[in-house]
Amino acid sequence: MAETFEIEEGEDAPRHDTAADDHHVVHESTGIDNRKLGMWVFLSSEFLFFGAFISNYLLYGGRDFATTVPRDIYDIPFTSISSFVLLMSSLTMVLAHHALSTGDQSGTKTWLMATALLGSVFLGGQVFEFYEFITVYDMTLTSNPAASAFYMLTGFHGTHVAIGIIMLLSLFGIARRQGGLSEKHGMNLELVGLYWHFVDIIWIVIFTLVYLLGAS
Amino acid sequence: MSETTSDHVEHPSTRDYVRIAIFLAVLTAIEVALFYIEEAVGLRGWEGPLLIALSTIKFIAVVGWFMHLRFEDSFLSKFFGAGFVLAMGLYGIMLLAFGAFALFG
Repeated sequence: MAETFEIEEGEDAPRHDTAADDHHVVHESTGIDNRKLGMWVFLSSEFLFFGAFISNYLLYGGRDFATTVPRDIYDIPFTSISSFVLLMSSLTMVLAHHALSTGDQSGTKTWLMATALLGSVFLGGQVFEFYEFITVYDMTLTSNPAASAFYMLTGFHGTHVAIGIIMLLSLFGIARRQGGLSEKHGMNLELVGLYWHFVDIIWIVIFTLVYLLGAS
Repeated sequence: MSETTSDHVEHPSTRDYVRIAIFLAVLTAIEVALFYIEEAVGLRGWEGPLLIALSTIKFIAVVGWFMHLRFEDSFLSKFFGAGFVLAMGLYGIMLLAFGAFALFG
């Protein structure tokens, strides 16, 4: 979204010669809001972070070690449901954005909260999975390189989900306090949405490469 | 959404978003089914390519529709794509060098 500014009609206001400049001035040379461009560049750089952890898992996940390795103890039905929950949270996120774009402030708040709740369910599932792996199967972060790679990758992703939930709840709090999201906060919602969907696409890759292909 | 880059493009409606979500859910169900079919009868090495293909379709659907990239300025696609291609190239070469793809038979 290109940031536009209303130019005040005062004595000190900047004067413009063209009709196009009368009301709105685009300040970004790219024509794209800098915050939005920054978010896309940030998400682009995140591919390198997650790529490193995924590669690390692909290197060690298939090897045998003396202690329990993740591929032997995956609970595919459970992880499939978690994946479905995260996928549906992407739907609620885009519905929150859509509701705001149509001026439906109540719908925006509802879908924001739904997204945060679905994210929390996913995160709770991940905590439960970690707890089971550690207590039942005695597979800890330092058990073997495959376990380390698994915990680092999924833990790093879970941290992203947790940060996303905090941002969603913050937006919800702002919307509730102010009776709705302003145009400025609308952009924030769009940025949080981009981040949330990115977390979802990373999980799409992890679910396939780490769980389904890793366990088969 | 963007006033300067995407106002002239018709965005999906709520119904469209729900349809895309159902499509994604069905693809996920097919992925899980493929996993169990492979466990039960075997797919002669086809499960890897099939699962990666389904995952790629899901990835593109989320980026294109939910992240609205297909409605945005191509400038953003280039930035986003550059990071993805860079990561794929870098780690693909690294994994090939270490023989990690042997994991998938």
